Amino acid sequence: MARLEVDEICKGWDFPVIDELSFSVDEGEFFVIVGASGIGKTTLLRLISGLETPDAGRVIIGGADQTKLPPYKRRIAMTFESYALYPHLSVHENIASPLRARKVPAKERDRRVKEVARLLKIDHLLNRRPGEVSGGQKQRTALGRTLVADPEIFLLDEPISHLDAKIRHELRTQFHTLEDLRKVATVYVTHDYSEALSLGDRIGVMGAGGKLEQVGAPRDLFERPANLTVAEHLGQPTINVIGARLQSEDGTLFLRADSGELKFPVGKSNRALLERHGKEKITVGLRPQFIKPIEEAEDGAEPLTAEIDVFEPLGATGIMIANAGGVRLTALTNPEKHFEPGQTVTLAVDVDRFHFFDADSGVNLDRLN
Amino acid sequence: MSQVSLREVNKIYGEGAGRVHAVQDLNLEIGDGEFVALLGPSGCGKTSTLRMIVGLETITSGDIFFDGRNISRLEPQDRNVAMAFETYALYPNFTVEENLAFPLEVRGVVEATRRSKVREIAEILRISDILGSHPSELSGGQQQRVSLGRALIREPSVFILDEVMSHLDAHLKFRMLFDLKRLHRELKRTMVYVTHDQVEALALADRVAVMSNARMQQVGDRNTLYNRPANVFVADFIGEPPTNFFRARVVADDSRLTLAVEDSDLVLVPDEGTAAALKRSEPKSVIAGIRPQNLNLSDKPVALNARVAINEYLGERSMLTVYNGSIRFRALAPPETRISRGEAVRLGYDPANVMVFDPETELLIS
Amino acid sequence: MIAAAAGRPKDAWRHVRLLFLAFLALWILFTVFPLYFMTITAFKTAAETNLTVPTFWPGDWQPRNFVGVFAEKTNFSALVDSFIIATANTALALFLGSLAGYAFARFPRQAGGENLAFWILSNRMFPPVAILVPMFFLFDSTPWGTDSHLSLILLYLVFNLPLATWLMMVFFRDAPVEIEEAAYLDGWTPLRAFAKVTLPLVLPGMISVAMLCWIFAWNEYLFANLFVGSAVRTYTIVIPTFTHGSQTLWNLQMAFSLIAMVPPVTLFILLRRYMVRGLSLGVVKG
Repeated sequence: MARLEVDEICKGWDFPVIDELSFSVDEGEFFVIVGASGIGKTTLLRLISGLETPDAGRVIIGGADQTKLPPYKRRIAMTFESYALYPHLSVHENIASPLRARKVPAKERDRRVKEVARLLKIDHLLNRRPGEVSGGQKQRTALGRTLVADPEIFLLDEPISHLDAKIRHELRTQFHTLEDLRKVATVYVTHDYSEALSLGDRIGVMGAGGKLEQVGAPRDLFERPANLTVAEHLGQPTINVIGARLQSEDGTLFLRADSGELKFPVGKSNRALLERHGKEKITVGLRPQFIKPIEEAEDGAEPLTAEIDVFEPLGATGIMIANAGGVRLTALTNPEKHFEPGQTVTLAVDVDRFHFFDADSGVNLDRLN
Repeated sequence: MSQVSLREVNKIYGEGAGRVHAVQDLNLEIGDGEFVALLGPSGCGKTSTLRMIVGLETITSGDIFFDGRNISRLEPQDRNVAMAFETYALYPNFTVEENLAFPLEVRGVVEATRRSKVREIAEILRISDILGSHPSELSGGQQQRVSLGRALIREPSVFILDEVMSHLDAHLKFRMLFDLKRLHRELKRTMVYVTHDQVEALALADRVAVMSNARMQQVGDRNTLYNRPANVFVADFIGEPPTNFFRARVVADDSRLTLAVEDSDLVLVPDEGTAAALKRSEPKSVIAGIRPQNLNLSDKPVALNARVAINEYLGERSMLTVYNGSIRFRALAPPETRISRGEAVRLGYDPANVMVFDPETELLIS
Repeated sequence: MIAAAAGRPKDAWRHVRLLFLAFLALWILFTVFPLYFMTITAFKTAAETNLTVPTFWPGDWQPRNFVGVFAEKTNFSALVDSFIIATANTALALFLGSLAGYAFARFPRQAGGENLAFWILSNRMFPPVAILVPMFFLFDSTPWGTDSHLSLILLYLVFNLPLATWLMMVFFRDAPVEIEEAAYLDGWTPLRAFAKVTLPLVLPGMISVAMLCWIFAWNEYLFANLFVGSAVRTYTIVIPTFTHGSQTLWNLQMAFSLIAMVPPVTLFILLRRYMVRGLSLGVVKG
């Protein structure tokens, strides 16, 4: 058990993939790195595990600089996106592999393998080969192999993203409850923001350019994104982004959308922020969950008239895309209520939930002042 | 324009011990211009069904009609069906324009017509700006659209899409869903979308046909499948997050009927219609189901009491995994919810949302 | 277009199948007949082999031919010599080829890249006769000379090592590198990880490579004929020596050839399970 520090690490081949990236994970902390696919998340894990050597920077585990240490001398357990199970060995032998490598006696080995297998509900599969079990069971086997190792650091690379929704829910619950996983430093990599929000004690959002855009607690990231990249990466459907200009009319501040007629009053809470920023051009972000179709105007919310472009009833929510004065807005709705394309609706917009970003840099105005 | 009907269709592969009944007594009516999704887990028979519609597979028994005409014995090229596959299958040495024009060229359409058709379809699919590019220069989403375009360009009467989105990443998939839906609205063509992903199926289709174990389980729109699933399979397969199921004893006295969940002190109250049905059939025990989104932290008159095991913040919402006795189940809560492990919660529900199934047949009781 | 073929009624396929079976029958005749004639010749008397009109069934069965071939004691030792050379050469080719193949598969940049690997393979492609004489002088100047086991063991590497290197490279490429990496993280050192994880995965391939190498070395005649002959004799150079004056003893020659066929055929039958798996590349995935 140890604390993990990644210190200004760099790695590139023909172009830089990881660029002076730093973060640390405390003992017992679950740290999630979220980012689009192909952005270098796996490379980062490989650098931590020692499968790749960094061009510069250090990996410090439990206070000791392990940058130059080969992987088999580190006490790191990692799952691979492809599971990387040994196809010629049984599930039992696969899980036992780290124990054999460390010459744990056969009896003790067997006991621990069975214990982990029971925990992961694969104890009935121990004699099968990886080719004979389902995807979810393969993932559990891979997980078992890492859990049994009793490592200082856990690295998990997209462990559940290739599984069916139902098994994903089940395994996510398991990640929450596995004590072994919760008592050491864990780095979990995913492209799915909901996995990140659900599991992470803290989350790092990785953007293009090999840097962490923002590191913070789930609520911080979702409710106070540092910049547009973070705001756009978290959330499905994606946050509404509107280019707008700040205008003043009879002492009231307005935001007028660049494309079209749409006009929002500025909420009281945000007025000071925008005035301090002082620029006319602003990028406005509004999460779809804060736009709702309503029967008639209610208090506090700003009503808009819009024409429905698309409506899709999904599972727990419905998604509506509507055109409001030349601006396409995505809203989350109740899926039970059906809407037809072309229909006119009144949308209530919660103006206090706006995020404001600098039009040029995309940085949240919160962070500029 | 075409209307499709499958009547008592069966597909049997092999003989003797290796005999597999892949599709069993399947009936399905697809209206003209309708968008129907064929949904089911892998191995449920949906791919065999689709291959029979297209003509890639012979029909063991039963018939398929297009606009009332029996096409069961026709060759695929005589059926006027187009199909887009999961893999893009574009010709790498052709430009996008040449790829799109190819099906027309094969059929000897003159060049001027070809050109105008390509422009038209490119417009609809929003790929006009990449007509000169080669497939290798395109993103996954663009390739997928070109491949759709190539299937659509010869104006088939029935258009079949086979798992076309299963390997796109989440953001791209989302955009494609909207594109497809718009495409259907603009072309007004009969479309069949085959998938194992319920979110795609529910989002796109006017009606969803749920298959399992070679049989059609239920055909209906989202609300029907969600609120009145025909059996346990449909209730379990449709729904994200997954439906909570409980084994429960039926407790009836003169005044009211309740369902006592085994291994816990949970009590579910069904609505009057279901209660009446239960009184008629008098089962001792049932399988009860309720969806997580129908269990909320609210002061509804009926509620389930439980303790929180996990509170997962998911951004737009929070998901609570709760327990009572040895029973675990899930509920949805607003994202602001700050309840931590071990705290007691009262999860209110509407009796109309309690689904009750026969434990033997697993059919809905109502 | 594929669709059309798949949708065709079954009758059309029946004709195709018949045609295929007819072709197969012809092909079997073509390959099996020589073997048949060889076998019956081995059982004939010397006189019967020389009839102007050949017989297709021995008039007088002579199983003693198979003992007769060993009247000359060196004939048996020739089989032993061949076996020593083929086995030692195969072991060496496999060992060196695996190392080189592994390097090409895992460290293509450091190992010189695809071009070098292909150049090594191309060594296999020039006509052996072109290097026959230079090789003779080269080996003649070594302390062990040409007429030794070692000379042929090393010489055959010229042909078997490129083959082994190239095929092993393909097999190693097919074995996912992540599995090896997973083993490092489990705590296995690279050498142990190779033995525990990678080797079992490429074993079927390795066995087929071994078969190919062994059969080449066992059957090689051209170089053996020039290089060895007194201290060491391989069975291939013994076969032409079954003569009596100007008369070829076909029956003994065929009997000896049949005996020489036993080891490779036995090996093939024993290992055919691996051969099939090894030669159909991509078996280790999944």
